[in-house]
Amino acid sequence: MKKEKYIMLVALLFLSVSLLMAGPAGAGNTDLSDTAKACLSCHAQHGLMVTFENNEFVEAYVDAGKFNASVHNSFSCSQCHPDFSADKHPQRKFRSKLQYHEKSALVCRRCHTDRQLRTSSIHTTLLNEEKSGTATVCTNCHGSHAIAQVKKTGKYSDEEEYCMKCHGYTVKMAFRSGEALSGTINISSLQASVHNKLSCSDCHYGFSSEEHPKRHFATRRDYTLASSENCRRCHFDKYTKTMESIHHTMLSQGNLEAPVCIDCHGSHGISHISKERVLIAKRCQRCHAGIYDIYAKSVHGNALFNENNQDVPVCADCHTAHAIEDPRTLSYRERVPDMCSNCHANKAIVGKYGLSTAVVDTYLSDFHGVTLKLYRLQKGALNKPAKPMAVCTDCHGIHNISSTVGPDATVVKANLVKRCQKCHAGAPKNFPDSWLSHYKPSLTRAPLVFFVNLVYKIFIPVLVAGLVLQIMLHIWRYVVNR
Amino acid sequence: MDVGTVIQEERVKRFSPARSVEHLAHVVTFVVLVCTGLSQRFYSLDISQWIILHLGGIDNVRLIHRFAGVICSLEIITHMAVAAIGIVYGKWQPSMVITKKDFTDVVHNIRYYLGMENSPTRGGRYTYKQKFEYWGILTGLLLMILTGFILWFPSVVTMFLPGEIIPAAKVLHTNEALVVFLIIAIWHVYNAIFSPEVFPMDTSIFTGYISKSRMLREHPDELDEMEEKPLEDMPASP
Repeated sequence: MKKEKYIMLVALLFLSVSLLMAGPAGAGNTDLSDTAKACLSCHAQHGLMVTFENNEFVEAYVDAGKFNASVHNSFSCSQCHPDFSADKHPQRKFRSKLQYHEKSALVCRRCHTDRQLRTSSIHTTLLNEEKSGTATVCTNCHGSHAIAQVKKTGKYSDEEEYCMKCHGYTVKMAFRSGEALSGTINISSLQASVHNKLSCSDCHYGFSSEEHPKRHFATRRDYTLASSENCRRCHFDKYTKTMESIHHTMLSQGNLEAPVCIDCHGSHGISHISKERVLIAKRCQRCHAGIYDIYAKSVHGNALFNENNQDVPVCADCHTAHAIEDPRTLSYRERVPDMCSNCHANKAIVGKYGLSTAVVDTYLSDFHGVTLKLYRLQKGALNKPAKPMAVCTDCHGIHNISSTVGPDATVVKANLVKRCQKCHAGAPKNFPDSWLSHYKPSLTRAPLVFFVNLVYKIFIPVLVAGLVLQIMLHIWRYVVNR
Repeated sequence: MDVGTVIQEERVKRFSPARSVEHLAHVVTFVVLVCTGLSQRFYSLDISQWIILHLGGIDNVRLIHRFAGVICSLEIITHMAVAAIGIVYGKWQPSMVITKKDFTDVVHNIRYYLGMENSPTRGGRYTYKQKFEYWGILTGLLLMILTGFILWFPSVVTMFLPGEIIPAAKVLHTNEALVVFLIIAIWHVYNAIFSPEVFPMDTSIFTGYISKSRMLREHPDELDEMEEKPLEDMPASP
């Protein structure tokens, strides 16, 4: 090949040049073997390139000083490069840089036996992977001529770089159950995460460039559960909130599938969850697929997914993110009007869609709303169970909330009587009309109620004024007569 | 009122003991209904919440209110039945019936207060003030009994009537309750307690007797009638 001939030419040129410089080059390396000095006469120079079939290349440069400082400094070059010597310099072909590195690594294994390597966990993992065909490249972590224990290489500017020396490659964790978990870290997603300023050991407590404790987990899930405990060291407020959640209750009751931090937030690629509201819903979907599907068809879900409307509530707006409560409890039901009024009493949010903010007040001032308020009031004072009261979701639906205008309106109305009958046994079809559908009484809406109200609005002040006037006149006359 | 004056002053029998008992029963049910009813209407006031909590919660308050409502209904029905029977069998005089004189008395008395007449009206057994109070409260209670039962059994009522009846009944019930409460709190309490004519208190409904001087002043027409006829012939006082 033309290129290789060129390389040889360059190599010979350097050889001759460096022969002249042999004296000064070897001056400080008194411990180096003679053969090493001979090789270094060329390889201590920059510019020697080994090119591979895929046009990748490496520089065949050896830093004499670093080599001399390495644990292998007493070795002659031929001990690791057996085919090469002062008079032998065979030409070899490699497909790629990777293949070259893989082959070179085999040299190490001549001295560093599998038995020796298996005393450390990381090497065991790597060796296990060889069974599946993934070659171990010793030099990736340890370097080549400047060989050192990884932790003593000292060439890592930060911990992340240090850890990535192994975890940037195919590293696997094995569990007693036979499951495995990839320990490979995608550095770009880590760097794009909110935790990009943290060091690995900030979360992986107990691990450092000095220590890599062996830990044993029965299952992959056990490891996830244990790893989630790391989050609380910084996010204690969220951690305590999750302890009140139904998910934590399920977990403590032995349901190991109940979600923990990592399940929703991920691990290394953690991003700000609130940025994309669709994603919040999607996270819940993983376990609550049925409810997600219903939600997606609702007036809220439809606006979120089809119009990318950011005003509509997603799961966490009603259920909260961390202190997720069992929604089937009475206390949760009693807070439903609060949840809805977060948006529906806020003109800035619902005004845009032509929705009235009076819906909350009209509910709260009616029988059910008043009773609910009083139930909540007396809950603290009286240790007495309240009855379930009709709240927003009873008429409008929960995850399947549909529009109250347009074609869906009739559906809402039609379902109303059935809902009433759940508490008001035998309620006839007229019964739902006793609720004025959030309308304030007027001449067109509930004229009878409007009229009765109007009569009393006039009558009561007139009555009071008349009676008070009579009394005052009576007193005045009495005083005058005396 | 000290004992000495009672002995000295000549007294006239005004009410039978049955009327005193009836009045006391009304006082009790009225107080209970007002406490449990107005605390529901003005639930956001501290006093209302205090009442609700001390009665053991809103469910208890509603239960008591309905129970007291039933008692009150029975009292009213009994009262009307007794009055009707009394009048039909001629034992009672229809002295509560509103007459033309009552309207002229109102005008006359207001003119008197303003100094345009020389004397107040001559009252019969019941003055226009008392008739106004009686009928105001009676019609109010009848309306509340009716609307109260509508609110108690909304699903039965809506079988025959449109749903709008329920909120209309609610509005009527609460407003009429306020009317009755105001008539009692302003008019009745003034006339029976704070009026300078009776202060510190008109005790006739409790004792059954009224002083002759008050009869002369407030019910001169009735007194005349009584003195014209021998006492034995007088109809039993309602």
